[in-house]
Amino acid sequence: MTISPSTLVPGIIAASDAATVTMAEPVARFSLRAHAAERETVGGALGLDLPTQVGHVAGDEIEALCLGPDEWLIVAPEGLAERIARTEIDAAHSLTEITDRELTFRIDGPRATELLTTGWPRDPDSIAPGQGRRTYFDGASVIVWRDGPEEWRMDVWRSFAPHVVSLLATGCAELVAG
Amino acid sequence: MSPFRVPGRGRIDPDRPVAFTFDGKRVEGYAGDTVASALLAQGRHLMGRSFKYHRPRGPVTAGSEEPNALIGTRRGPGRFEPNTRATMQEIWPGLAAESQNRFPDLRFDIGAVNDAAHKVLSAGFYYKTFMWPRGFWDKVYEPVIRAAAGLGKAPSERDPDRYAARYLHTDVLVVGGGPAGLAAARVAAEAGQRVTLVDEHAEIGGTLLSEPQARIDGQAAWDWLAAERDALAGLGVRIMTRTTAIGYYHQNMVGLCERLTDHLETLPEDMPRERLWRVRAARVILAQGALEKPLVFHGNDRPGVMLAGSAQTYLNRFGVRVGDRAAVVTSHDSAYHAAFDLHDAGSAISAIVDVRTAPEADLLAEAERRGIAVLAGHSVTGTAGRLRIASVEVAATGGTGPARKIACDALLISGGWTPSLHLFSHTKGSLAWDAERQTFLPDRITEACHIAGAGRGFWGIGAALRDGAAMGAAAVAALGGEAGARDFEVAADRAGSGESRTELPRGRAAGKSRAFVDFQNDVTAKDLRLAVKEGMRSIEHVKRYTTNGMATDQGKMSNINGLNITAEALGRAAPEVGLTTFRPPYTPTTFGAFAGYHRGDHFEVTRKTPIDGWAEENGAVFEPVGQWRRARYFPQGDEDMDAAVSRECRATRASLGIFDASTLGKIEIVGPDAAEFMNRMYTNPWTKLAPGRARYGLLLGDDGFIRDDGVIGRLADDRFHVTTTTGGAARVLNMMEDYLQTEWPDLKVWLTSTTEQWAVIAVNGPNARKLIAPFVEGADLTPEALPHMSVVACRFDGLPCRLFRLSFTGELGFEINVPARHGRAVWEKLMAAGADYDITPYGTETMHVLRAEKGFIIVGQDTDGTVTPYDAGMGWAVGKNKADFVGMRALMRPDLIAAERKHLVGLLTEDGTTKLEEGAQIVLDPDQPRPMTMLGHVTSSYRSDAMGRPIALAVVMGGRDRMGEIVHIPMEGGSVSATITAPSFYDPENERLKL
Amino acid sequence: MLLIHCPYCGETLPELEFAYAGEAHVVRPDPSTASDEQWRDFLFIRSNAKGPHAERWRHIHGCGRFFNAVRDTVSDRFLATYPAGTPRPDLSLSEDER
Repeated sequence: MTISPSTLVPGIIAASDAATVTMAEPVARFSLRAHAAERETVGGALGLDLPTQVGHVAGDEIEALCLGPDEWLIVAPEGLAERIARTEIDAAHSLTEITDRELTFRIDGPRATELLTTGWPRDPDSIAPGQGRRTYFDGASVIVWRDGPEEWRMDVWRSFAPHVVSLLATGCAELVAG
Repeated sequence: MSPFRVPGRGRIDPDRPVAFTFDGKRVEGYAGDTVASALLAQGRHLMGRSFKYHRPRGPVTAGSEEPNALIGTRRGPGRFEPNTRATMQEIWPGLAAESQNRFPDLRFDIGAVNDAAHKVLSAGFYYKTFMWPRGFWDKVYEPVIRAAAGLGKAPSERDPDRYAARYLHTDVLVVGGGPAGLAAARVAAEAGQRVTLVDEHAEIGGTLLSEPQARIDGQAAWDWLAAERDALAGLGVRIMTRTTAIGYYHQNMVGLCERLTDHLETLPEDMPRERLWRVRAARVILAQGALEKPLVFHGNDRPGVMLAGSAQTYLNRFGVRVGDRAAVVTSHDSAYHAAFDLHDAGSAISAIVDVRTAPEADLLAEAERRGIAVLAGHSVTGTAGRLRIASVEVAATGGTGPARKIACDALLISGGWTPSLHLFSHTKGSLAWDAERQTFLPDRITEACHIAGAGRGFWGIGAALRDGAAMGAAAVAALGGEAGARDFEVAADRAGSGESRTELPRGRAAGKSRAFVDFQNDVTAKDLRLAVKEGMRSIEHVKRYTTNGMATDQGKMSNINGLNITAEALGRAAPEVGLTTFRPPYTPTTFGAFAGYHRGDHFEVTRKTPIDGWAEENGAVFEPVGQWRRARYFPQGDEDMDAAVSRECRATRASLGIFDASTLGKIEIVGPDAAEFMNRMYTNPWTKLAPGRARYGLLLGDDGFIRDDGVIGRLADDRFHVTTTTGGAARVLNMMEDYLQTEWPDLKVWLTSTTEQWAVIAVNGPNARKLIAPFVEGADLTPEALPHMSVVACRFDGLPCRLFRLSFTGELGFEINVPARHGRAVWEKLMAAGADYDITPYGTETMHVLRAEKGFIIVGQDTDGTVTPYDAGMGWAVGKNKADFVGMRALMRPDLIAAERKHLVGLLTEDGTTKLEEGAQIVLDPDQPRPMTMLGHVTSSYRSDAMGRPIALAVVMGGRDRMGEIVHIPMEGGSVSATITAPSFYDPENERLKL
Repeated sequence: MLLIHCPYCGETLPELEFAYAGEAHVVRPDPSTASDEQWRDFLFIRSNAKGPHAERWRHIHGCGRFFNAVRDTVSDRFLATYPAGTPRPDLSLSEDER
């Protein structure tokens, strides 16, 4: 299967009775960085209480996932991108837009979690619903979000997406076959 | 039904006949049969020829340890599997099986001439013989002798099957579905653990499948098994059959190979043939049972000679009598039961030969009751029969009476049992000799694992069940749970005991005895003794010299016998001599299983740019660069690469070229200390670079050698847009993070990879500005406002854009960064708008030529990790007044400033037409004696359209002091002379940038 | 495949999420005062321990942090992991004593 990033468009990518893989509509994404001393100020400017535990998520319309001790992934509806980029933040930090860096795929269905085990060395049960992690899937650095027991999101760097999607699509069909 | 099939016996389905072929002839068996059991049911033992001597062989086992009955199995084109164990391969309608290592056929095999020559083919034959004469290697040894040895033929067609992989996390992994494993799984599952139970056979049950006579807790063994299977399923235990635990790796990672389709008549769509599981278990319980050992005596390898326990399996599990008239030779009680079962099923037992002097009284009584003669204190001294055993020669071990011949069509042998501890051995767990049980048992445990049942020397179903339950409870306790011991009431159990032997007493001279130890590699007891005689002392040396235990079965049957015989020859006790190491995989595993999904298009990660689809649709030829695939050139019509590149170069210099530069690494460096961080990382000074300007940056390692380079734009006081080489992006970011986190954690600056945030389109050529001007809003493109080496944030076709003016070609150039999702659309608009300027897409090859014409280096091509900025002639990029930067201190080391270092120079061949080979060595005098003194090598070499001749870059010792000198480059077809020049060929004054 | 405990994430995770980064506690000398020999040792001289070895790892496909570990090079077992910038733990002490 030859897939190019430019041919991936939002919508269902692969589906079976076991799981469905859907490419999500674009969202605004930022990488936010700040040291512990500035965390509250920086978060406050964005209206967020930035979580300190890796994997935890905070926020509502604008969500922040803690990826590392000084790193958060900010996700928001596309329309808010400009506003976020222009936020006045009176403390040392880095806010860098990465909206187009990744594509997001939703993976859900009765055996969505099992589908992920085709390329994911980590124990899926180590991530509680409502959490996320940066991790490794079949050769690619990805961010997974667990939205429910069998509902996942995976952010994949655009150039890796054809590779990752091809495995997920293969797995979707294979899970049904046995 | 064939005469060897016992009606009502076994677990095959008599209502479902299954026809397959063996060597082209139709064979009928039943669902549930293996190839071996179906052939045995036809009275056929001969299934293969041996590896070295081409001796006729039949199955000795009924399991995966089988050394002899290796066959090829075929399912249409491409689906051929050599060296399949006939004892494991289930039959299905249409299966085509064939014997191996024979010509022209199995019954008459020319290669058997090797058997007559066995005296010269003994241990170490290859080492001794193939030494001399040298000329024999090509003409005799390799084509004739080596070709005669071997097993199945490797398939040559592409494998059309699919293979899969999966990770699994489980609390308790139980390997082996026999009584011990079943009991362990039950206890662990009842305590609430996630339990996975695997077994290599088509169904779980292990020994229970071969011993239906046993009664467990008042139930017949098979009824108990069925109930237990349901109970386990009900408890959520994941039961995986046809699944072999192939390796036990660090921290309780166990590799499993699950065979999904090899037993099916039709292949379900999307179903892989095999699946490799990487299981991470909190606790592992190894319940793999024990393997029966053969006895070692002259002629112990004839078809019809079979392990007693296996004969019992064929009878009880498959309903097949392995012969009409069987003899038995044993050093263990268990063989008696095989004989009794066979007798009770209608076969004659011509004698039970027990090498022990005083067998158990109750066994003797049972034999007597059946009228079976028992010859205690006797040994087998030989066998007869060409393609099937016909008789066995027996003599009292005391050596007084004459040998006598006993007719038979099968000979059941048992030399006792060896715990199956291969996986345990993978963990580097140690074994200790148990004198009472006469075997090695697990000693020091290194992983979070338990060994249960026969693996710990507990023979018999009752003992295995109880130990399995105990180990299940131990695993639960280790996980912080609670589970109690469990008892089982087992009737008609057959525990038994026995002795471990070396080669049985012989009726002939030691040198004439052909008593096989390793059936698969054709190693005899004599070979082992010869190895010791020739000076081998370590068991590891004996193993390699004789190849004992080095076949695909890894000596599952031969290991202990080999050790005993070697120890005897060394005059030492077996435990002192020690064991060889078992290594993964437990049984031969296909390459497909290991490759999993990673084949074809999915072989490895292939990163693609947003413009990749356009390149593919427009006929680009791609090349891999790091993980990326990049368009190398865009041939038109029947152009070859040279023609296409020449055209692309010409068009770019004449008017306009367009290039997908999206793969360039991009790192956004942001924070109040951004400039300070840049000063410390790169050789160049950054403090005074104004926002809106860009600079070529050079990155060294702390050893002073060039690691990476790229153009860096300053977007604001606290924000830099760094570019790196395509292949270096991840490495550079990692290096920067390393210094930032561990050397300068106080700096308030952060790094974000933006490689994939932006699609980057480079437009180069005199018409570049004219092309882009109509698209740009919010930026003044005049040379005054946007000079060479500058950057501006603007809008491009209405999209956010970072527009760089820079040049890697020597022409007026821009790099348009737009959000990645728009990359292809912008590219297509530029292509359309560029029609007026004959816009020409070019690939990496043209990019390389254009930059080489300018003498711009490619890190990793013109540098190799030993090139300093001064070597590369780029001292200008090194800041002179900096307190520190990565690599600064090393550049002061004497070796790094020595005059005779290799410098980057240009090379022009004297004839003006020869293109030098990249990588070719450079010498001063082509006629000097070899080995020649080499001055350096060619790093880049191209045909240059602009120069009308080939050009090259090279690193040459003291090169900058050799301008104009002639050097010589020995190449295929003769030495080529070339002149050393400055490493810049085209427009050295950079006039063309002043547009 | 090893399991590695990341001291920043507080989780024990598959080796595939991590990248090895050489021996730990190799101090980069002050370049303005370091002798050629000191710089040479910093660049090239490593302990090559048989047994417990202090080394650096990066949770590259996770939190991104570099950290230190003591790993037994004979058994391939991790004895401890600890944040970058903290000293090598005395493994003869119990965890509470360290």
